[in-house]
Amino acid sequence: MPAELSERLSANDAALAARVACGDPAALAPLYQRHRGSVYRFALLWSGSAAAAADVTQDVFLHLLGHAEDYDAARGPLQPWLLGITRNFVHKRSGIDARYVANDEDVEEPDAPRFEGGPEAAMDTQRDLARLRAAIAALPPHFRDVLVLVELAERSYAEAAAICGCELNTVRSRLFRARALIARWLSASSGETGTARG
Amino acid sequence: MTDSDLDRRLAALKEATADALPPPSADRAVEAAIAGAKRAPPPAARRRGERWLVWPLALAASIAVLSFVVRSLPPEAVVAPEKRPTATRSGGDEFMPIVPIADIEQTRDALVVPARLPRMTLAQLGLPINPARAADAIDTELLVRRDGSVLAVRFVY
Repeated sequence: MPAELSERLSANDAALAARVACGDPAALAPLYQRHRGSVYRFALLWSGSAAAAADVTQDVFLHLLGHAEDYDAARGPLQPWLLGITRNFVHKRSGIDARYVANDEDVEEPDAPRFEGGPEAAMDTQRDLARLRAAIAALPPHFRDVLVLVELAERSYAEAAAICGCELNTVRSRLFRARALIARWLSASSGETGTARG
Repeated sequence: MTDSDLDRRLAALKEATADALPPPSADRAVEAAIAGAKRAPPPAARRRGERWLVWPLALAASIAVLSFVVRSLPPEAVVAPEKRPTATRSGGDEFMPIVPIADIEQTRDALVVPARLPRMTLAQLGLPINPARAADAIDTELLVRRDGSVLAVRFVY
């Protein structure tokens, strides 16, 4: 048997998760090395806080250490499952019940974020990124979930739907509205007229 | 702001965070948790102990059926491990070893057999399965020896 195949067999996510579930905590180390980046980045982009993202990353993997048996490998790969756990933890830190599914039509118009600096700074890349981060942080949580998952974490619509526990069309709708809000806020901050998808 | 303007800014943010990793303090905390965790019997093992007769019987029946299927296959059905159809099937996971890797490496006549198995059988093999869905069946591909023993399993989604 080729050595490459042997490595793939021994390093398989589901097999490692099974070892953790069977009481072999050392199997968590390769899983942490492999997935810490995606978990941390999702939490960072969602919360806008490096400290919160670091805490959430710890929480996610400690949860995996104690609850690996909850992962059902027959239902899909490990990483989307971990991102679902991450979502629950970032919501929890924000005082949001992740299980609560808001009626999107009833979501009130959120307050626009306060941007630092004036229109003259709009071309500055760092300032642009800071404004975009602030705009994402001002989105309603369920809009923020799909924007971060689909646009920034490169998850498919189907994966985002599974992670958020909602329908595919809901993901599309939330993404549409999230993009429209951000475009409007960023346009207003630079004196433009918003025209992005809605 | 147009869609392309927004896409460009989102791409810039994605690129700016592409290499972001948790700080060393988080790494140390997880390492400490791993070092501090004790090996323990899995909950699945405890549940198996409560129903000690049902699970072995289910596993034995599954292996018996599988063994019969494998033995009845014509010789041309044998495929070399490196030619297994893993790359040609879409939407699945990698093969997960059921036995030590060294045993798999020594096997020269492994077969890949598609099988629809109850999840409880996979749990018996030590795979992570949600106990609440133990009665459900799942499509799999099994890597087996000629004697019918299972070497590895792959889920087909």
